[in-house]
Amino acid sequence: MQRSTVLLIARQFWVNTFKSRAIYPMIAIVALMLGYAAYSGWKSYTTHNHIRKHYQQVARQSWENNPDKHPHRMAHFGSFAFRFKHPLSMFDFGLESFTGNAVFLEAHKQNTVNFSEASFSTGLLRFGEISLAMLLQVILPLIIFFLGFASVAAERENGTLKIILTQGAGWKELLLGKSLGLLALSLLFFLPVALVALLLLSFTNGGLLTADVWLRYGCMIVSYLLFFQVISIIAVLVSAFSTSSKDALIKLLTLWLFFVIVLPRTTQALGNYFYPSPSKIAFEAAIEEALIKKGDSHNRDDPHFMALKDSLLLTYQVDSVEQLPFNYSGFVMREGERMSAHIYDRHLDELLQTYRQQNRFTRLTAFINPYVAVKSISMALSGTDFESYAAFERQAEAYRYQMAQQMNELQMEFISNTQSGAGDQPQTISQDHWKAFPDFQHHFVTTRSALRNETLSIMALLTWSIASVGLVFYLSKKAKAI
Amino acid sequence: MYPLIVKQFIRSKTVVLAVVLVLIMGVISLLIGKQFLTNQETAIVEVTQHQQEHIERNVRVIDEFGLLLYYLRFALVDAPDPLAALSIGQRDMNPSIQSVTIRNLEGQQYDTDLNNPTNLQSGNLDLGFVIIYLFPLLIIAFTYDLFSQEEETGTWQLVAVQSTSLRRYLWYKLSVRALLLYGVLLTLFAIAIPLLSLPINKALGAFIVLSLLYVAFWFALSFWMVSLQRSSNFNAVALLSLWVVLAILLPAFTNNFLANKYPVPEALSTMVKQRDGYHEKWDMNKEMTMNKFYAHYPQYRKYTLSGDDFDWLWYYAMQQMGDDESQQQSEAMRKKIRQRERASRGLALALPTLHTQLQFNDLARTSLSNHLTFLDQTRAFHERIRLYFYPKIFENVSVKEENWQQFRPEYLLEKPTVNWPTIVLPLLITIVVISIVSVVNLRKAKL
Repeated sequence: MQRSTVLLIARQFWVNTFKSRAIYPMIAIVALMLGYAAYSGWKSYTTHNHIRKHYQQVARQSWENNPDKHPHRMAHFGSFAFRFKHPLSMFDFGLESFTGNAVFLEAHKQNTVNFSEASFSTGLLRFGEISLAMLLQVILPLIIFFLGFASVAAERENGTLKIILTQGAGWKELLLGKSLGLLALSLLFFLPVALVALLLLSFTNGGLLTADVWLRYGCMIVSYLLFFQVISIIAVLVSAFSTSSKDALIKLLTLWLFFVIVLPRTTQALGNYFYPSPSKIAFEAAIEEALIKKGDSHNRDDPHFMALKDSLLLTYQVDSVEQLPFNYSGFVMREGERMSAHIYDRHLDELLQTYRQQNRFTRLTAFINPYVAVKSISMALSGTDFESYAAFERQAEAYRYQMAQQMNELQMEFISNTQSGAGDQPQTISQDHWKAFPDFQHHFVTTRSALRNETLSIMALLTWSIASVGLVFYLSKKAKAI
Repeated sequence: MYPLIVKQFIRSKTVVLAVVLVLIMGVISLLIGKQFLTNQETAIVEVTQHQQEHIERNVRVIDEFGLLLYYLRFALVDAPDPLAALSIGQRDMNPSIQSVTIRNLEGQQYDTDLNNPTNLQSGNLDLGFVIIYLFPLLIIAFTYDLFSQEEETGTWQLVAVQSTSLRRYLWYKLSVRALLLYGVLLTLFAIAIPLLSLPINKALGAFIVLSLLYVAFWFALSFWMVSLQRSSNFNAVALLSLWVVLAILLPAFTNNFLANKYPVPEALSTMVKQRDGYHEKWDMNKEMTMNKFYAHYPQYRKYTLSGDDFDWLWYYAMQQMGDDESQQQSEAMRKKIRQRERASRGLALALPTLHTQLQFNDLARTSLSNHLTFLDQTRAFHERIRLYFYPKIFENVSVKEENWQQFRPEYLLEKPTVNWPTIVLPLLITIVVISIVSVVNLRKAKL
């Protein structure tokens, strides 16, 4: 292989593309979209994180300002968990608009995460959102196809193909050169986007570029580079094996439509069709049923709790619960909370597992659709994928459980066992305990586990990258000049 | 000549393949719509059964009216119209069933359904999607080289010497394609009607008319491109770019614009306020809470606190304060959402894709405004149930005396209103304008 020939052909392709002028309106459109997408991502990130932070503080303040009271009242007063946006969500919105943002956390009850952007949307949202990632995943491949459909086919139509081939360049050099030229053109669009993303990360809120964000950013750049490499090679190969440039164009446009629009939606719909998830009523009813079977802490005659009481009395060698060294009803509630939370966790796990099965259909298509591969990786690194959301739901529930149990333990420790009679001062504990209990903290999925979750997509993208280069070598032996 | 044009067109393998593909996608979309309806119906059956069991079980073990009503939940159902199967809209996200206790409503009514966010993002593959996204692509594929192909393959000269009117020849070619695609579209409706047991009514009629017009819009647009007489490659690139702009970029642009212009922090303030409004009352003077409660419901002044530590009257008065004191925030939130709704409708008038989607959703009662109506109705329903039980709780009447059988889920009785001018005019005007421009183009070309 002659490297100089490859570079010559690549340079020639680049120069010719600029001569045709068709690229200028494309640059203009992408520049415009880039500006808007960057503004939009920045605006949404700063506005929403600001709003959420504000209300988290308001809610926390009102928690801390509670006067002395019975700890179980505090468990019902409850707390909130707000989902924060990851800095890289400015780049890729992912599922961000479709996931709830705030959840009320209280004893005995797991509430839904509410107020997603989509729930306030008129249906417009279904057409998609403009983000920097969307620009790279949806629009740029189309532009690469527009720029590359004629790369070889036009040479054939003009009769220049034979000249090139007779002047010493082989098919291998030709295909590699054209692909390289096309990849270089795609970088012309990609690099500004990457740069703008970096600027957003450097200047928003006085800079968000931690070592971790750098790492994510780096992985992102590599993934997109591989993706554009694959797309460029596909464009050139289709062009080389089409009878005319029109034929190549139609094939590429069809491919784009399938990759980006038709296939992902269809596979997701099929996943949903074959792995139906339970309705909310069915989900809640199943938990309620499991709970009744196991033991109802609010029911004094419940066999599970009767047995528990007997064993307690035996262990502590006392005749009645009033003589126990701790508050008995606090103990019962702790046990009840433990059981109900356990049952809920199991059902939530199952539900999330069903969702994962639904998603797996689409995720597996990464091996036939590079768009899905890069999309999944990009969302995971931006902290806007399904697992990021599932992690938030889990963290919120873990905090809720911790809060409820902390209050139950405070009750066991500080509330006396004898019932207060009418007219007595109600039993309370100091408000210092409220301040001592820490506020909810939303932790993002770590980069390492985000990458581990996307092993499949990463493998698919690497396979695509290697296979596409292999295909160039393989097909260069089969290509015909006429 | 007409039969020859037909023959030439449908002999193409690509045409057959494309039509078969869209038919398959159409049928899949109908099956998905059917599954959606079945799921919703199952949920309604489940809630009916569950409510009955739930009431029976609690009535059996709880004999105190106040405590019983702490637990009991009553459902209001906004049953989906069969048309919802064709355009699922916001129904996958917003619940069609509200199951509420008589406690503070603001803490309950925004609870979402259980959803896989990935499904929501990917969007429903319903017939609306097939019509709005896929039909235009088919139209583009069938018409972009209507004229240029003849010129590029050299057959145009042949046609020119043989035909009396070249314009009529192009017109024939276009009509063959239009007839085929309208045939496909109507076939899908013909399958949908028995499959989904769609009632033949005005809403269905409007849905079909809207689909026909939307398809006509894309034919007009493609024909306009053809009338410019550019090369096949140019037409393909330009038409697909137009499709990307109309079906992806402009709607997405509008969406980002509205989402950024109208953020809804009121939702979070309502959420925090309703909690504080209720819970703070536990630590406050009972009399103050009661006075507020009496001011809201003067008819309950006759019920007074017993002087015990705890009173159900006091408890429900506190709960009521959660709603009363977050009312301002809640109204601000609804106002904000309505603003979004109005703004997007305004912008949709200029965008055929958006307009069609929003009108589909309106006809199928799956739009955001439909959900807002449901929330309003839930409020009224909740108030009715609440006022029915308040006196019984305050008088602590016997639980066993109540006829619990009567509390079955209630249904919202809403019919879509078909507003013909709004549905038809924006598209019709666009089509007429584009067609006139195309005809002028062709006359200028002296074909």
